[in-house]
Amino acid sequence: MYVYTVATLLGIYCILTLGLNTITGIAGQISLGHAAFLGIGAYTAAILTVRHAWDFWPALLAAVAVTAAAGALVGAAAIRVREDFLAITTMGVNFVVVAVFLYFPFFGGAFGIGGIPAPSWPGGSLGKPGLFLLVLAGVLLALGVNLWLLRSWVGLALLATREDEDAARAAGVNVRRFKIVAFTVGTALAGLAGSFYAHFLTFISPEDFGFAFSITILCMLVFGGIGTNRGAILGAGVLGVLPELFRPLADYRMLTYGAILLLMMRWAPHGLLGDESALWRALARRRGAP
Amino acid sequence: MKRPASLVIAVAALALAAAPAAAQDAIRIGFFAPLTGFAAADGASARHSAEIAVEEINAAGGLRGRKVELVVYDDRHDSKEAVALANKLVEKDGVVGVVSGSYSMPSRVAAPIFGKAGLPMTVAYAVHPDVTKAGPCVFRNGFLGQVEGWAGAEAAVKVHRARRIAVLTIKNDFGATTGAAFIERARKLGAEVVSEQIYPLGEKEFSPYLTKIKEQNVDLIYHTSYYNEGSLITRKARELGITAKLHGTEGIDSPKFLELAGPAAEGATFTTNLNRDDPRPEVQSFLKRYRARAGTEADMVGASAYDAVKILARAIEQAGTDAKAICGALTGLKDYPAITGRIAKFTRGEATKPVQIEVIREGRIRHLATIDNPEVITPPVR
Amino acid sequence: MSTLVQQLVNGLTVGSLYALMALGLTMVYGVLRVLHIAHAGVFTLGAYAGLWAFRGSGSFWAALLAAMAAAVLLGLAMERWVYRPLLAKPPIATLIASIGVFIGLEELYRIVAGPQPHGFEVPLALPALRAGGVLVTAPQLLVALVTGVLLAGLWLLLARTELGLAIRAASQDAEVATACGMNTRRVVALTFGVGSALAGAGGMLVGVFYNSVSPTMGSVTAYKGLAIIVLGGLGSVPGTVAGGLIVGVVETLVISLVEFPLPRDAWAFLAMIAVFLARPQGLFSAR
Repeated sequence: MYVYTVATLLGIYCILTLGLNTITGIAGQISLGHAAFLGIGAYTAAILTVRHAWDFWPALLAAVAVTAAAGALVGAAAIRVREDFLAITTMGVNFVVVAVFLYFPFFGGAFGIGGIPAPSWPGGSLGKPGLFLLVLAGVLLALGVNLWLLRSWVGLALLATREDEDAARAAGVNVRRFKIVAFTVGTALAGLAGSFYAHFLTFISPEDFGFAFSITILCMLVFGGIGTNRGAILGAGVLGVLPELFRPLADYRMLTYGAILLLMMRWAPHGLLGDESALWRALARRRGAP
Repeated sequence: MKRPASLVIAVAALALAAAPAAAQDAIRIGFFAPLTGFAAADGASARHSAEIAVEEINAAGGLRGRKVELVVYDDRHDSKEAVALANKLVEKDGVVGVVSGSYSMPSRVAAPIFGKAGLPMTVAYAVHPDVTKAGPCVFRNGFLGQVEGWAGAEAAVKVHRARRIAVLTIKNDFGATTGAAFIERARKLGAEVVSEQIYPLGEKEFSPYLTKIKEQNVDLIYHTSYYNEGSLITRKARELGITAKLHGTEGIDSPKFLELAGPAAEGATFTTNLNRDDPRPEVQSFLKRYRARAGTEADMVGASAYDAVKILARAIEQAGTDAKAICGALTGLKDYPAITGRIAKFTRGEATKPVQIEVIREGRIRHLATIDNPEVITPPVR
Repeated sequence: MSTLVQQLVNGLTVGSLYALMALGLTMVYGVLRVLHIAHAGVFTLGAYAGLWAFRGSGSFWAALLAAMAAAVLLGLAMERWVYRPLLAKPPIATLIASIGVFIGLEELYRIVAGPQPHGFEVPLALPALRAGGVLVTAPQLLVALVTGVLLAGLWLLLARTELGLAIRAASQDAEVATACGMNTRRVVALTFGVGSALAGAGGMLVGVFYNSVSPTMGSVTAYKGLAIIVLGGLGSVPGTVAGGLIVGVVETLVISLVEFPLPRDAWAFLAMIAVFLARPQGLFSAR
């Protein structure tokens, strides 16, 4: 079960990095508040299943919808607030969302929400392997959404927005709409991850969704190679499993983690598998060569 | 240029090699605490004390002739870490029981996983009421928030004779339960609770709260806080010229409170489970060993972790390594001489033990009173 | 009324501490356009260095100098070995590297100095001021005094020296500054030095003011400093001072006047978001 536990967590990280990749990698809108949307999804799922006895599936859909709506709001704000100002705004959103979870009794306050049931399936509840498969399906869905976005005309417009917003606007791209689309899709994925997270942990509390976790997600994405789906998945996998692997380091565990982030950016600033990274270029050359 | 990377690898390899090869026949006990992050100081205290307990057990011949080995994990005060390490303890480490040396949040996440696996668990000082509800084999050495709040009210109204009280509550599960229970009982005992203000964990600037309190002309301020916040409250109150008495909780039971609050701490009181003037040799011997090992005075977090390990160990000694048998021994535990107060018995996992009132006198933590009114100290379990 | 003034005094004290933390952030942003998260690690080092120097020397001013010197060294080292090699790289890589450095520094402080906070008790030869029910405590007076001296020094440096002109020019437009024959590399290093010195002093002052120095004391700086510098209009020095003071006062007043409880950080960020929606370039934009 330990393997499934770690694998399920990694899967949840993957959905998060893929969602953040939609916003930050593809559309170029830096978000430092992704964990807030994980929290909105998790709280929606938890409140509906625990207090209102909703089934897992409709609650999951509701979590995705509510989170996407919140994301669309932030996307609308991103029309006015740009670049580093936007990054800090999203950080602010993270702090405000966590404070609301903590201070409003409706969200269970400091006690969090416990007793979240295991996901159900026609014919009973899913065990750990079942939940892992479900999360894996979620990862594939997130990947599919990102691929579709990238390949379709939406993706082209989003990329244009990332490279040069003013030029994209001049070329007739509706920049406003695409920012909102990117935020909506990316945060909807975070909402999906949030539902999985709540049912997986069975207990959630406001601290789970703090700014530090947003930073962790961003680090995973950049570590793997921002802007690419393979990078998002690899980064989540590697940085997600490192703290577990480093347990024997005990006291030096987080020091090593920080050092790896620094060294990686120092010598491979495009991440492990980013389009510009040495490793990916070498792979591409080998494939290109007959 | 390569050096830093190879250094990391070398360090990693060394650490892996140094990981103790499990003695085949040792009895393994799991232990988790926040060893890094903002709660690392409490984690360190809990770990030192748990290790002292294990050393004592092994020096006395182990349990049932076998050595005891503590499997220690860092939870970083993070749910995700807690869920992973709990599964690892259950599955990979072959532990016969687990001790939480951590806060509520990681304990709350981990407890159901041990519950499902049928592993016995003792909880040192986490206060969330749901921790012990995770299964029939979770036992808490510390107080429930309610008990501590009620006892705080007894101290405020009966010992300090306070009539007008202001309450400052930290916004987490500990502050919420303790603060609410204090207000309930203080009113019942006839005191007037003039105000209740809530502040976030990690707050540093208490002048806005205390400036407000200063106007209210109270004779006691009850604050639920940890030593970081509690020492700031104490200093700031005296700086602003507030003369009201200050009564806190086990969160400030630490030598660090004395250091950080400085001379302002003089006369401050708090509720806790550790009576440092307790003449029992086991208490004084622990305090001495802790001082020798950690280089500082012990606190209730450490003493509670020591007890949590010893309680589990005693059950193993009585019943063997079978989980069900250990649970039975814990459930049947009677009149156990814990260093943080004699446990009369466990009721649905909650310990009944007296509450100690301690006071700062001449820069030292001294005993002031003991509250053993059953109406107050009986844990409210339904 | 006197309560309101009292809370204003309280808020301004906190605000000036915020400003000291945030000035280095904004100056670095001005010349490099990076969010210098690891600045919070510089701030914490200042507190530890000041504490050790004070234990050794017993002099507040010697300790303050030591705090600033240690912070300058760390700031310069970061400029040289973290930021300079990453200049041509994507800004997000710089951000992540900076986060890595910050995590590493916090851990280093914990391992070296222990996880427990240390007290930083300094006997103050300052009086408490009282006027019509308003009290300015001795530590508050100390904060006002030191902040005032440091800000005046900073103003003289920026307004009256060639170096200051170079820093201001580089923060307006690095390329033009280089074209005009200014050695931008040197200017960037000097900016790190000056900003880090302020952070080091701020760290020590926070340590003394709250009588506590701990490994994680910089994490508040890491995020609130960012909110303050964007509020002040990224890169603007006067804007950052104003931003710090405003955040300090708003937080304090809201806590004391509004019954509806949200933590002070949330109020600070709500205020910031509201400002952005009205003025997306911050309150006092340099551009």
